[in-house]
Amino acid sequence: MSEHGGTDLLVEGLFRREAGRLAARLTRLFGPARLPLVEDVLQETFAAALARWPIDGAPERPAAWLAAVARNKALDRLRREVREQPFDEALFDAMPITEEPKADLDDTLALMFVACHPALGEDAQAMLTLKTVCGFGVNDIARAYLTSSDAVAQRLVRAKADIRKLGLTFEIPEGGELAQRLPALLQAVYLLFTGGYTAGEGEDLIVAEFCVEALRLAELITRHPATATGEAHALAALLSFQHARASARIGNSGELLRLAEQDRSLWDRELIARGFAHLQEAMTARELSVYHVEAGAAAVHASAKDFDSTDWQQLAQYYAMLEELKPTAVVRLNAAVATAYAEGPQIALLKLDRLSGDRRMDDYALFHATRGDLLFKLGRHEAAHAAFGKALECPLSDPERAFIATRAKSCRRVS
Amino acid sequence: MLDFMLFLHQDLGTGPIRSPEEMMAVTKEYMAWADRMRAEGRLKGGERLANDPGKVLRPKGGRIAVTDGPYAETKELIGGYFAISATDYDEACRIAESCPHLKYGGRIEVRQFHTM
Repeated sequence: MSEHGGTDLLVEGLFRREAGRLAARLTRLFGPARLPLVEDVLQETFAAALARWPIDGAPERPAAWLAAVARNKALDRLRREVREQPFDEALFDAMPITEEPKADLDDTLALMFVACHPALGEDAQAMLTLKTVCGFGVNDIARAYLTSSDAVAQRLVRAKADIRKLGLTFEIPEGGELAQRLPALLQAVYLLFTGGYTAGEGEDLIVAEFCVEALRLAELITRHPATATGEAHALAALLSFQHARASARIGNSGELLRLAEQDRSLWDRELIARGFAHLQEAMTARELSVYHVEAGAAAVHASAKDFDSTDWQQLAQYYAMLEELKPTAVVRLNAAVATAYAEGPQIALLKLDRLSGDRRMDDYALFHATRGDLLFKLGRHEAAHAAFGKALECPLSDPERAFIATRAKSCRRVS
Repeated sequence: MLDFMLFLHQDLGTGPIRSPEEMMAVTKEYMAWADRMRAEGRLKGGERLANDPGKVLRPKGGRIAVTDGPYAETKELIGGYFAISATDYDEACRIAESCPHLKYGGRIEVRQFHTM
């Protein structure tokens, strides 16, 4: 141990990452039914670091220090409970103090399969993954899901009780069960990403970290032979393409930049290359998943050197496929936008107006804003102004509101 | 230079549950403070005490009674201490003021070491 190691030994996000890693190891030892106990042990472990490190200095290998302390705390717990439930102390030799990537990968995936069990419900799956696998706090999760911390805490308590009642085991499922349960895992990672993508638009850096975590988990899933399916690779490709644009999405004064306005030299070329590598692997799949199509569409943007050279025809085709697979409001709107560029604003507007019967579109700001944009392009400035006005009546984040208000004003200037 | 003891008082119980990210931020703040004290050559020592109420011994009817701590009338306990050097109480209090312990709901008692 160093003499008074400085805080520079503590890399950003260390506790959060180690919380996930240790949760996976401890859950292997205690079993999924005792997740609350695992959380207590982690809490005590970080409290120990808070108690010792200011006085002793940071240990030279902080991750190993935390693992050793967690191991001892876990042992203490079990010894205290020994009368209720006998345990095999030798089991603890199975908990490595040093880093061992292979075991980490297995444990993390097994924990994900517990957290993403189909019986738990979609929200609970994503929240539990964020809490246990990624080490985020209840407050962070609440912000991303636009709900209260209490609601998240209650949801998590209920999920943990369900895990105990269901008697879930700690393992990577095999054969038919694997095929049945993997989609929920991928879905949770996808939700994690979109949660971070939309909520992270403010200055909420922690929630923006959700995207980084989702990408890490997608990579992890594709690294394990059992879970590296074509669908998993397609998801990893999609997230790589999307995240590659992250730093180009926000302008100098924090405003959102549309694809047309983004400085493409800021796109992460390395990540885009990883996206294409995953896409290649994804093509080995027998079936086409939603992630394949979404990744395909994202790849079209990623490979266009500027906005004008985007292959809109191909993009429109992808969106047409996506509308079949997943007819959500967002997808149908994007399909209309792709059409606008492929076949012109007039046809896109027709397509969009067919959606106005859909009640989900009524208070969907982007629907009205897109209509406004198309009407503006067609020179119908009065109608465009009205559409932007409707968009402003919908729920919006501050940067979005500012953006749409500017567009509305520009209609007045021209007419 | 005189030596002072900063007793770190805190409420009984475990306090709010913090996320790992928050725990790391708090830990770094305490570390940075202790590092600064060390760099200024003021830090004479420090310890954290276990987060339990401890025991209290008192003479009672000719024998010693041992009870669970802390004293019956208090709801707080000493969570730890730092020993620092300063020219006088004023400076010692200014130093204590900069300790993150106060920011996180704790209280600090400043006492001067006895000098000959």
